[in-house]
Amino acid sequence: MKILAEQKSGNGSKVILVKRTIPNTDPEREEYLFQELRELAKAAGYLPVGELKQTRYPDSKYQLGRGKIEELAELVRSTSAEKVIFYNRLSTNQLFNISEICRCPVIDKFQLILEIFAKRATTHRSKLQVELARLRYEVPRARAVVSLLKKEERAGFMGLGDYEDSYEQDLKKRIARIQSELESAEKDDESLRALRHRKGFSLVSLAGYTNAGKSTLFNAIVNESVEAKDMLFTTLVPLTRALDLGGRKALLTDTVGFIEDLPHWLVDAFKSTLDEIFLSDLILLVVDASEKPEMILQKLSTSHDTLWDRIQGVPIITVLNKVDLVDESELDGIMEQIGYMAPNPVFVSAKKGTGMTALKAEIIKHLPPWCFFSLSLPNSEKGMSILSWLYEEGIVHRVEFGERILVDYEARTEIINRVHALLEPQEI
Amino acid sequence: MWDIIAVDISGRHRIKGGYYMVCAAAALTISASYIEKVKEIKILPLWLKRAPSLLDIVQLIEDTADQLSFEGTIVAEKGDMYNKPKWVTESMFSRAFKYQESIAERRSIELVHHISLSSRNLLIKELQIEA
Repeated sequence: MKILAEQKSGNGSKVILVKRTIPNTDPEREEYLFQELRELAKAAGYLPVGELKQTRYPDSKYQLGRGKIEELAELVRSTSAEKVIFYNRLSTNQLFNISEICRCPVIDKFQLILEIFAKRATTHRSKLQVELARLRYEVPRARAVVSLLKKEERAGFMGLGDYEDSYEQDLKKRIARIQSELESAEKDDESLRALRHRKGFSLVSLAGYTNAGKSTLFNAIVNESVEAKDMLFTTLVPLTRALDLGGRKALLTDTVGFIEDLPHWLVDAFKSTLDEIFLSDLILLVVDASEKPEMILQKLSTSHDTLWDRIQGVPIITVLNKVDLVDESELDGIMEQIGYMAPNPVFVSAKKGTGMTALKAEIIKHLPPWCFFSLSLPNSEKGMSILSWLYEEGIVHRVEFGERILVDYEARTEIINRVHALLEPQEI
Repeated sequence: MWDIIAVDISGRHRIKGGYYMVCAAAALTISASYIEKVKEIKILPLWLKRAPSLLDIVQLIEDTADQLSFEGTIVAEKGDMYNKPKWVTESMFSRAFKYQESIAERRSIELVHHISLSSRNLLIKELQIEA
């Protein structure tokens, strides 16, 4: 099942949004989750024409109650909707049963996210990642789908064969092929990261919940103009730019946002994208401070959940963005409530450009420390070439030319060690 | 900095003769993303002939935490409390209780999980319990 062009664009097609809620949950939070589904549908290019909610425990056959499904089918007919989007994860049987009754395609939130990713995937690699995520989603369903469709029918010559396994095998083969292709791309990335580290760059990445304003902050801090919209998943391909921190070189990477209940297979498929975050020297965790504290906590919790096991003790700066929308007197109250989830908080407004100096100071404070060093190089061709290399790799505070070249120098420890390795013991 | 008591229970599956569970509780001081200090750790084993109920789990956690000489909010994994919503479990404890949220809280749970698991393995071996 390829993602078709008209599916890819969303194409303004009419959809109905459906959500089942378990009893005794917070209605405000449920409304927020429904709003997120609306935003996701909008981001995929759909036009929601109807909504349906039900509070009950899941039904194994239809997810909602039988009566509600019939109500949904009626709604589909009256609004002439082309698709139904469920917030809840649907099993293959449920998908099949609901689409039989509603007579239109049915997808769940995860397939919707995949559609958005497929729509925005521009590079070869991101297309592969989307394909991998889609195939992984499809595998457990493959066998069931075929057997549901071919219940009465036997495949092969005279109907004696069986092609259910071969479809699943085919998917698995494609997964293996894409994985090996992505692995080689990952190796390229790793060597690029190692090269950047060797070059003296510190790697800083922007992480956070989707639509927190990461791209706007990225633009504000590196004077770039990447696409930043009030929309979920605007950024899918990580983008890196140089960040000037008063002489120290750092590379800032804008990344894909997190979302609640993002399944692990999707995180794994986007591993090489998310590695930009996991393997950086410092993470800027961006949060929308203009939201209610409970919502901020929920989003921080999702971000912490995605990060905690993979970042190996990398420091985090919590960037509370959009403070221009918050009354200054409320900031202390917000901090009191979210403090335990917000390491090293900094208040900024990426749109208005406020708080950038404080943010840069906080970044410098948490980057891997640079050593201050005094070197004595031979005044020779070799010494001069080392000196010019030093200019590239760190900050030269003072140079004095005499019988020997005396340098006061600041850089990463690796650079200092390399200078020592380059010079013969008697030359130091 | 916040004072918490991270708890985890190992062995909630049936073995020969019932359920042999070990609860580990650690009194910790944490910041938002790091464990800053490990102050004290206690473990408590429990034999049950029948499957543990939520109340048994709450009692076991309370008893283990009572052995510590430090105060703090009890932090546990949602799965340990049968995925019950926070308002249900909160009301069952005699002290402050919450599910893990921040990076430091998740690390703390990881720490006590390894403690409870390894102590249970040791006890099963030493006491020659048929698992």
